[in-house]
Amino acid sequence: MVTEVVLPMLGITVERGKILKWLKSEGDQVEKGESIFEVEAEKVTTEVESPASGILKKILVHENIEVPVLTLVGVITSEGEEIPEKYLTIAPPKEVTPTAMVPTASAEVSQAMASETSGQIRAVPAARKAAREYGIDLSSISGSGPRGTVLKKDVENSIALLRGEGAAPKDKETRATSLARRLAEKEGILLDMVKGTGPGGRVTKMDVVKALEIRKAPTPAEAPTEMLFGKTIPMSRIRRVIARRMSQSAFTAPHISFISDVDMGRLVQVRKEILADFEGQFGVRISINDFIIKAVGLTIREYPMLNASVDGENIRINPEINVGLAVAMDEGLIVPAIPHADRLGLGDIATMRADLVERARKGKLSMEEIERGTFTISSLAQFDITFFTAILNPPQSGILTVGKLDEKLTLINGEVQARQVTRFGLSVDHRIIDGAVASAFLQTLKKKLENPSYAFLQL
Amino acid sequence: MREITYAQAINEALRENMRRNSRIILMGEDIGRYGGIFQVTVGLLDEFGPERVIDTPISEAGFVGTCVGAAMTGLHPVAEVMFIDFTTCAMDMIVNQMAKMHYMSGGRGKVPFVLRTNIGAGRGAAAQHSQSFHSFFMHIPGLKVVTPATPYDAKGLMNTALVDENPVMFIEHKKLFITKGHVPEESYAIPFGKADIKREGTDITIVATHALVQKSLNVAEEMSREGVEIEVLDPRTISPLDREAILNSVKKTGKLITADEGCVTGGFGSEVAAIVAQEAFDYLEAPIMRVGSPDTPVPFSPPLEQFYIPDEGSIKDAASRILAYQ
Repeated sequence: MVTEVVLPMLGITVERGKILKWLKSEGDQVEKGESIFEVEAEKVTTEVESPASGILKKILVHENIEVPVLTLVGVITSEGEEIPEKYLTIAPPKEVTPTAMVPTASAEVSQAMASETSGQIRAVPAARKAAREYGIDLSSISGSGPRGTVLKKDVENSIALLRGEGAAPKDKETRATSLARRLAEKEGILLDMVKGTGPGGRVTKMDVVKALEIRKAPTPAEAPTEMLFGKTIPMSRIRRVIARRMSQSAFTAPHISFISDVDMGRLVQVRKEILADFEGQFGVRISINDFIIKAVGLTIREYPMLNASVDGENIRINPEINVGLAVAMDEGLIVPAIPHADRLGLGDIATMRADLVERARKGKLSMEEIERGTFTISSLAQFDITFFTAILNPPQSGILTVGKLDEKLTLINGEVQARQVTRFGLSVDHRIIDGAVASAFLQTLKKKLENPSYAFLQL
Repeated sequence: MREITYAQAINEALRENMRRNSRIILMGEDIGRYGGIFQVTVGLLDEFGPERVIDTPISEAGFVGTCVGAAMTGLHPVAEVMFIDFTTCAMDMIVNQMAKMHYMSGGRGKVPFVLRTNIGAGRGAAAQHSQSFHSFFMHIPGLKVVTPATPYDAKGLMNTALVDENPVMFIEHKKLFITKGHVPEESYAIPFGKADIKREGTDITIVATHALVQKSLNVAEEMSREGVEIEVLDPRTISPLDREAILNSVKKTGKLITADEGCVTGGFGSEVAAIVAQEAFDYLEAPIMRVGSPDTPVPFSPPLEQFYIPDEGSIKDAASRILAYQ
């Protein structure tokens, strides 16, 4: 029996993935459920299990080539079985079209492909070839040649970046005069950190001398940042994903935002009361965020539209309430989600939140954990930020922003009282959520957070 | 090693071959008593006599046709056409007779004939004595087209031409005749269709012919000081053309300049550019630049003529256009 191995759908908005490593070679015995390759998509790496037992007869998509999801990447046959002819004459990966896909994703893919083949991108032939070989979308590369032409080195930089070699090209690829090269080698200067002023941006001996002076300058800590000015840095992979998704969201979903001050006093008190016991029982310090996640989950249950996605002319109301929490990393933002936040207990939420945040920072999240979110919470409470709004995390329709906890004087029944107040913002997709619904949601959420005991009524 | 001029190197090859091979005769205008307009055949009349070194009337069609017939019937003639501009008078003999006989006789008739002539502006000789249309002949199957750029190459290539059993257009450059270079005294042959990398480099390939070889080398040295390493490739024969060497070099550098003194349109550089675009397209990192003469007749006015001739400045302009893609 012949079983086709495809690049799995790695999440609802994931269009393409790249096999980082085949864990099996052609001819190897594989067992159903055994990991056969590692795939990288958007921001995470996932191991993919074999769909069948048998012999991995043919690998059709090799490592480090980015292809659309559902692309045929390999063929498994029974022991001793010959591989059917049609797999031997398969077209190169770039031309394999996905056979099935959910409507939103396929629309996106065909759009992306159209833009790739539209020929409007200026690129020299060598750059096109390199992009083809490495499966890189030329439109994702900003060209440094005349009139923005993508040069071969632009693609190479991009490839180096994808391989995690940092923004700068490999040393030997940096253009430099031989004098500069020798001096740099002697002084231990990385040529690709030096801005070349020679013809075609070549690093000259003078450039290296200047770099040496900077290195010897009394404020070494400032030097690296200083050297960034005037430089063009290719976007990292994560940054590219963020850039694409944020502009997609900002320019397709009309955002409206609602602001409300929430008195956090009682919640802070409840947290303080249960903190020690909670930690004893669950081994994790409960955070205000955990309460917010829970409260959001419960509130969404009352307002299903806040759990919806626009799907063409339809509104898809997602079956599960999975609340994501934005985690900031040096490289960018990532949003792992707590599944069934409406149904899980606080213990599970806190445990899961702590684990997800930690693994997010290590880049060890699964695609599932990132993609399952149906609503996002973004908190800047640890900064001195009173209030902010956020851009929706597509295809979600709601995002809640949380400012810092502030002590404020409030007039209550003619009396001035000190209150611990956090300013919440809610941004929604106005295509499917109107102001009244958003306001009602935010108001209900506020009521829950201000009255923890009331919230427990719903449990 | 001793140094002699380009003209002397050709003279030496002619003399040595005439000593070895009595079939070789010379024909042309003023080649005997006067020694040729550029003194390439000087002294050969004295050594070999008027039966083998023949001054002809001013009739290119006449003596070129005579040479074709002589070649087919047993001699190995070498004709000198004073300027390439005059080959047009003999075009029927060259294109329809000399180039075709071997093919039309099913390989039985041979035309061992070397037609020497020269190209190049810069001697104030005006529009009819200064042209560089050697690429005409690479368009004609049946002709080998030799374009020596140095005294060493001139002697080695002439030695090969004089043992070739079929027609060779030996295209010299009139500004190179007095240039000097190392030339071994012993005999040596340079095969046709074998390019010479005159300078190795990694950044830009210049495929250059004739006088533009040295000009390209000058630019390469100058730009090397700025960190740009130019590879200068001299095909030495434009037919047969060493495509492989050209493609290999462009695959290495990703960038190509052609430098040839012919008018740019429809010229040698255009052919090289087309080959590279066709066979090494994926390697190109920048547009191909062609350096050549403007598409106008060669001006008589000395300042205009100097402006007309492609030089180091033209090559540097092309290089800087390419370096924008670096």
